Amino acid sequence: MKSRDEAFEALFKSEYARVAGIANRVLADPHEAEDVAQEVFINFHGLHSASAQFAPAWLHRAAAHTALNRLRGKRRREKRELAQAPQEASRTVDPQRMLEVGEDRRMVRAALARLAPKPAAVLVLRASGLSYAEVAQALGVGTGQIGTLLRRAEAALRKEVTRGTSL
Amino acid sequence: MAHLSEGTLRRMVDDPDALTGSDRRHYADCADCQTRYAGMAEDARAAATMLAAPELRLDVASALKQVQAAPAARPRFGFTLPILRPASRPMFAGLAAAVVVLALVATAFVNILPLFQPKTVQPVPVTVADIQALSALSDYGTMTWSQQPQPQVVLSAADAQSIAGFKAPVASYVPAGVSSTITYAAMPKAVAVFTFDAAKAAAAAASTGKSLPPLPKGVDGAKLTVTVGPAIIEVYGNLNGGTTTSSQDINVPELVIAESAAPVVTSTQVTAKQLEDYILSIPGLSKDLTAALKAIGDPTSTLIIPVPIQYATSTTVTVQGVHGVAVGDNTGLGSGVIWIKGNVFVVAGPLKQSEVVKVADGLKS
Repeated sequence: MKSRDEAFEALFKSEYARVAGIANRVLADPHEAEDVAQEVFINFHGLHSASAQFAPAWLHRAAAHTALNRLRGKRRREKRELAQAPQEASRTVDPQRMLEVGEDRRMVRAALARLAPKPAAVLVLRASGLSYAEVAQALGVGTGQIGTLLRRAEAALRKEVTRGTSL
Repeated sequence: MAHLSEGTLRRMVDDPDALTGSDRRHYADCADCQTRYAGMAEDARAAATMLAAPELRLDVASALKQVQAAPAARPRFGFTLPILRPASRPMFAGLAAAVVVLALVATAFVNILPLFQPKTVQPVPVTVADIQALSALSDYGTMTWSQQPQPQVVLSAADAQSIAGFKAPVASYVPAGVSSTITYAAMPKAVAVFTFDAAKAAAAAASTGKSLPPLPKGVDGAKLTVTVGPAIIEVYGNLNGGTTTSSQDINVPELVIAESAAPVVTSTQVTAKQLEDYILSIPGLSKDLTAALKAIGDPTSTLIIPVPIQYATSTTVTVQGVHGVAVGDNTGLGSGVIWIKGNVFVVAGPLKQSEVVKVADGLKS
């Protein structure tokens, strides 16, 4: 029988890439994604046994929600800073940046941050390669609901991105 | 035949083989479904493109080392229960007091009660000095877990039920303003064995320079087996608060509901009377506590609720037709109620006592 530490190591090795991938899908920032992934594993280790059946589902959900919370926090900070220094902001925005890939990503992440938690989580979990069954387990819903949730989330994301670009 | 649902069509985008035979025939002949499918496929492609992310280059081995070297997550009272933000601590002193009371209950089981299977609850006043005096009992033997407590945060009420073996209680009344987000935690049965050890007791007493009363005859080597749980805890509130950027920084729960199998204590060779007499002879216990313990008619069927008198007050209430104890802090900012009806139930939160009792009365288990 595996010791607690051995079980955790095995879980870490099998799930770390996926957990970091989910966080990266949300944040589009590999460095911050790894930070989130490590935080998620540290929290898990303090709370649960690595041999628990629900471990992967817990990690996937925690990765999505922790990263989405960071994204929303970041968005709020950016908004506050812009509101506090509008003149400075207008001076520092470079119109050329609008053409850059980074700017597209920023706008998509801003739209993602505006979505409700469940649709946002469905999108990032599925986009991170989780199967319908895995997404369902992570979110505690039936597998049969995933198609509908995904469809609505994709439509909502598209609408939010369009709204963001027309602002 | 009705048109294909959006869920079915969306799934078809990812897995064309997922359609049943009749769905496939309908789709082949239905221009409307084909148009809807095309729109969904386009949205799915757009979402996949939009959610593209920069490449991750991971060093799993060094990440593992970092995680292993990190300090353990903050203790969370065994469960994922409230960690109060420093700024909000004074406001929720009441809730903290209620939590302390619950923590002390466990201590009371282990240290005091032999051959114990509670059917009712009874508050007793305790002071910090009482707690220190009682904690000396742990020097009188060795505690081991034959089944470790393994509290787990789970994803749903159904998961909690599968761990605890009973249905998660459902609140039919929840006060206005309390979030509808519920986090479930569950714990299978845990069993601890406390073995009295006269030599260890003597050594402990000598090392502290205190003289503790000698163990009664025949108690050396006696074992108390304490069984707690299984239990389910429901925490209402968005624990990963919206403004937080760290999952360590969680909000105060708005309501906590817990149900646990009543604890059972069995003993190999100690009687309830022997232990009660012994506990009452421990120096440092307050007169109030001694009197309250003596006043309990049948200690083997009464769950003692220690109420820290500096921080909280208690009243007896009727909950679901049985006798319960309500604990409230002196500021009125938080309260809890505990009762036994087959299992032990607790409802607590930063709420008025009347609200907590109303939630308790409306609980369906």
